[in-house]
Amino acid sequence: MIPADIQLGLPLPEQLQGYRIWDSYFTPAYSHPGPDGSSELFTDIERSLPAIRKGQFEKLCYFPHVGTGTTNDAEYEALARSSPEMILKPLKRWPDLLLGMIQLNPHNVPASLDAINRWLRDGPMLGVYFPGGGPGAMTCTHPNFNPLVVRLAELNGVIMQHTWFKTGGKQGPGESTPAELAELSARYPQQKFVCAHGGGEWERGIRAVRNSPNILVETSGFDATAGFIEMAVRELGAERIMFGSHLPSRSLGTELGKVIGADISERDKKLILGENFRNLLRPILKTTE
Amino acid sequence: MMHRRQVLSLGISTGIAFALLPTTARSADDAQPRFRIIDTNISLFRWPFRRLPLDDPDALVKQLRSLGIAQAWAGSFEGILQRDIAGVNQRLADACRNRAELIAVGSINPELPDWENDLRRCTEEHNMPGIRLHPNYHGYTLEDPGFNRLVELATSAGRFIQIAAAMEDTRTQHALVQVPDVNFAPLVKLMKVMSGARVQILNHNLRPPLLLQLGETPGVFFDTARVDGTDGVPQLVQSVPPGRVMFGSHAPFLIPEAALIRVHESGILEEASLWTVLSENAGQLFGNTAV
Repeated sequence: MIPADIQLGLPLPEQLQGYRIWDSYFTPAYSHPGPDGSSELFTDIERSLPAIRKGQFEKLCYFPHVGTGTTNDAEYEALARSSPEMILKPLKRWPDLLLGMIQLNPHNVPASLDAINRWLRDGPMLGVYFPGGGPGAMTCTHPNFNPLVVRLAELNGVIMQHTWFKTGGKQGPGESTPAELAELSARYPQQKFVCAHGGGEWERGIRAVRNSPNILVETSGFDATAGFIEMAVRELGAERIMFGSHLPSRSLGTELGKVIGADISERDKKLILGENFRNLLRPILKTTE
Repeated sequence: MMHRRQVLSLGISTGIAFALLPTTARSADDAQPRFRIIDTNISLFRWPFRRLPLDDPDALVKQLRSLGIAQAWAGSFEGILQRDIAGVNQRLADACRNRAELIAVGSINPELPDWENDLRRCTEEHNMPGIRLHPNYHGYTLEDPGFNRLVELATSAGRFIQIAAAMEDTRTQHALVQVPDVNFAPLVKLMKVMSGARVQILNHNLRPPLLLQLGETPGVFFDTARVDGTDGVPQLVQSVPPGRVMFGSHAPFLIPEAALIRVHESGILEEASLWTVLSENAGQLFGNTAV
């Protein structure tokens, strides 16, 4: 017996394959891909591969830094702007596994618009990620988001916003809460938004976005607290929940466990683990075909 | 149904033939491991701030059984905030008595008057093999004299001590009940003068250098319930001497599947190491406890 064959706590591989898992929140080298632009990213992806295989994932979506000022490394930022081939390395190394949504810096609207055109209009990226920390973090109710959302809507880009409700309040001025994302989403009712981490403190997070039908909730980024998925399905419907793994800094156990261990129907698990993300990506995948 | 003592003896025996079944060419009914997993960290009854899907003991035991967990060491959520600790422990003992998989681990709050009597009841009346402490919820540190005295008495009674580093991420706690994680630095010094003491740290997220210092301290053990990252458990196992890490799920607050998957998902731990974490090491903590 080799450890890769051990399946304790997991459904059988064929059942996992049946879920057709598409991970919307894969975070290798999340803060910085390494000084050469890819080494730490590659290391973290390879570190995640045993879990990816064990979970029978079909696709994972990560968030590359493309030079809009989302890291504190000026040298890397310049390299990212001048060497698009560097950004593409992971997608070329794992073409059947990886999808990408670029990290944006709403403090710099012109650079972010350029990046949207460069990476979404011209491909191959499928959406954007607004971080909750680092130099690119900005509370999502800020007017700077408006031109970015308008352009993203034109391109059918997916919008993922990092959110947390933290006991004791925000730990950084650029953080966003689910309530703030609900405020932004109300300005653009035709555009879908993804509330990453369900707000962390999900009992408040789910309530905050309940009346915003254009917001989906992403499931990763906090302990495998029991009852989260059940409440989200009850209050939002399974169609508004999207699986994320947060690998490798979180784990297959924590993140997949939330869904497979939930007392919900198999149909709902299938929606959450892949179908909803595929549906969200369908418009932009169509335009890039 | 297997009697608790039989389960226990199976759990702590070394060299038991076991196999983790391959996942190919088998049915879901075959999906159980052939060895007995011991979960050193579960709790019974209601979490004070939320209903949990498995907060009924029967439902919890059924789920643990379905995951191949043969034995679970159960504390009580009631012991966190309630002050009638004797009543808390009585209910826990009653709930575990007729459920063969459950081993009751009583709560003690050394900030309460006459806590020694609660400890005596745990050991003499309920015959519990260990006790569980919540210093952060009960308002004391590991430097307090009452804690030292408690470790001394529990050790002289042959009992192990579990200390919950946390019950919940500080970022998600109720605004009116904000509780920092326990500081374990004083334990390094204390354990040097507490010969024979066995202390397991639950729900921790310890990092070097304190993790390494605690690992070098004889008698200190660790559970896996909140050790996250795809290779977090193997890293913990490799950071401390053999025998110190044992499986714990923190169910039903956390989903038990999560902790089980995390032990093996990276493929780093060899089969023998998995066995020690999932079962054998719990025997070392249990030691020669006469229950």
